[in-house]
Amino acid sequence: MLRVLTVELRKLNRSLAAALAVAAPGLIAVFTFFNVLRGKTPQPWDMWMIGCLGIWAFFMLPMSVTALTALVAQMEHSPRSWDHLRALPLRRWTLYAAKAVSVFLVVALMSVAVLVLSWAAVRLAVTLKPQLDPTGAFETRAYLETMGRIYLAAVLLIAVQLWLALRFSSFVPGLVVGIGGTFFAVVATSARIGVFLPWQMPINMLATDGWRMHTALGLGLGGGLLVLTLALWHLSRREVL
Amino acid sequence: MLAIETRNLTRRFGATLAVDAVSLNVPKGCVYGFMGRNGAGKTTTLKMLLGLIRADQGTIRIAGIDARADRLGAARCMGALLEAHGFYAHLSGRENLDITRTLLGLSRNEVDRVLEIVDLRRQADRRVGGYSLGMRQRLGIARAMLGSPAVLILDEPTNGLDPDGIADMRIFLRDLPVRTGATVLLSSHLLGEVEHVADRVGIVHQGRLVLEDDLVSLRAGQAPRLRLGCDAPEQARALLAGLGLTLSVEPEGGLVSLRPSDDAPGVARQLNRTLVEAGIGVHELSPCPRSLEDIYRDITLMSPTPTEEAA
Repeated sequence: MLRVLTVELRKLNRSLAAALAVAAPGLIAVFTFFNVLRGKTPQPWDMWMIGCLGIWAFFMLPMSVTALTALVAQMEHSPRSWDHLRALPLRRWTLYAAKAVSVFLVVALMSVAVLVLSWAAVRLAVTLKPQLDPTGAFETRAYLETMGRIYLAAVLLIAVQLWLALRFSSFVPGLVVGIGGTFFAVVATSARIGVFLPWQMPINMLATDGWRMHTALGLGLGGGLLVLTLALWHLSRREVL
Repeated sequence: MLAIETRNLTRRFGATLAVDAVSLNVPKGCVYGFMGRNGAGKTTTLKMLLGLIRADQGTIRIAGIDARADRLGAARCMGALLEAHGFYAHLSGRENLDITRTLLGLSRNEVDRVLEIVDLRRQADRRVGGYSLGMRQRLGIARAMLGSPAVLILDEPTNGLDPDGIADMRIFLRDLPVRTGATVLLSSHLLGEVEHVADRVGIVHQGRLVLEDDLVSLRAGQAPRLRLGCDAPEQARALLAGLGLTLSVEPEGGLVSLRPSDDAPGVARQLNRTLVEAGIGVHELSPCPRSLEDIYRDITLMSPTPTEEAA
């Protein structure tokens, strides 16, 4: 399994998926940078960082996961390399499990990058306008914990998108579901039922309502692990004609 | 001993019988040409050998291992070049090989070894996206040879190559069993190519293996023919009919079909005398061995279609 995982990570080298992993958190940082510069008075760190976490959880994470899973799967679909991989003397589930682990690892790195790059963007803006130096403390542990919860609540959404991306050789089904899911997550933000929508589960980690947060976290993580198991079982058994 | 042995291998896709009780016998150390038209069932058979799709019925033994019971064991004995190469275009040739090497748990110098065999060492660090089709084919063969598998399965290895590439590939494939000790199963619809490299052939037609034999004995068993170039082919045809011979007139000249028992030089002498005495000028009379394409055409024309058989 470790060999297959090493190979998956090596495939990301110079790939579009790797470029996306850098670009998505980078865009949030660029937005934050200009947002800070627009200010007239200093704002607390919390405002900037919760703002970045919100953009990530609400919109950028679901869209990035949609694009990332499509790019990672297309790496095999486009050159039709599944036949080559599946003919090797390896247990097939390990091929798909390694793919899943690498995607989860990249999303984890992107999550950390959102925090690091957002902090750096604020600091960079402050070097240009020192009068806007944020007030209050930078609560590293609190931001990491919130980001951790967002990540765990996104497990279901990642698992669903990955399953679709690996199952269909066309990127269209995954893209349609991902864009559609994000759209409904946005328009149904305040709806109580939205907490059951995988694409809205991460943003619920910023909710003040405890029920929403715990329900989304439980369903996102538990449902995600279940869907992931089913996906591995299904993909390793099916014939690729 | 057989490197590949299948018995009654069958696969259906819905109502379509794609592979119908195919029994292959591929001896160790040979180049086996697996031929048939597009859609004849070649790729489905290869996919079953590689364990990519399940067989509905039948047995598969690869180097003595029951492939249906022990897919991993059989896969360890095989290397394959499939029609779709499956290379990562953003990585170099070496990186692509290194991926498979890592997955197979082989030593690092294995990549250089196979690159040397296919003569790609100098271009190995270039991105595969910039490779020509011929280079990709060679890289595909190199990848199939990682770990020195006992059986190499090559699906249409000359597809898309230019004439020079085809000639190079022909020499390469011809020498492969000697250089590596591997058995090569070569699937192709280009019969002329198979003829140049194969020791043994199998012809699959409408999902069935309609012929399997060594190329030498296959040719020996065929009736000889003479190529005839003369001034009045129609008149010659009537005269030859009198001798009990058939002359078919083709764009490249006349072909005289003999009986398997006929002594070709003797018939040629008699034929020449008859035509000249009748005042017909003969400007060509030479033996014309049957090509694999002729044999293939005869066999596939003779085999009944499933509809004919049902009737």
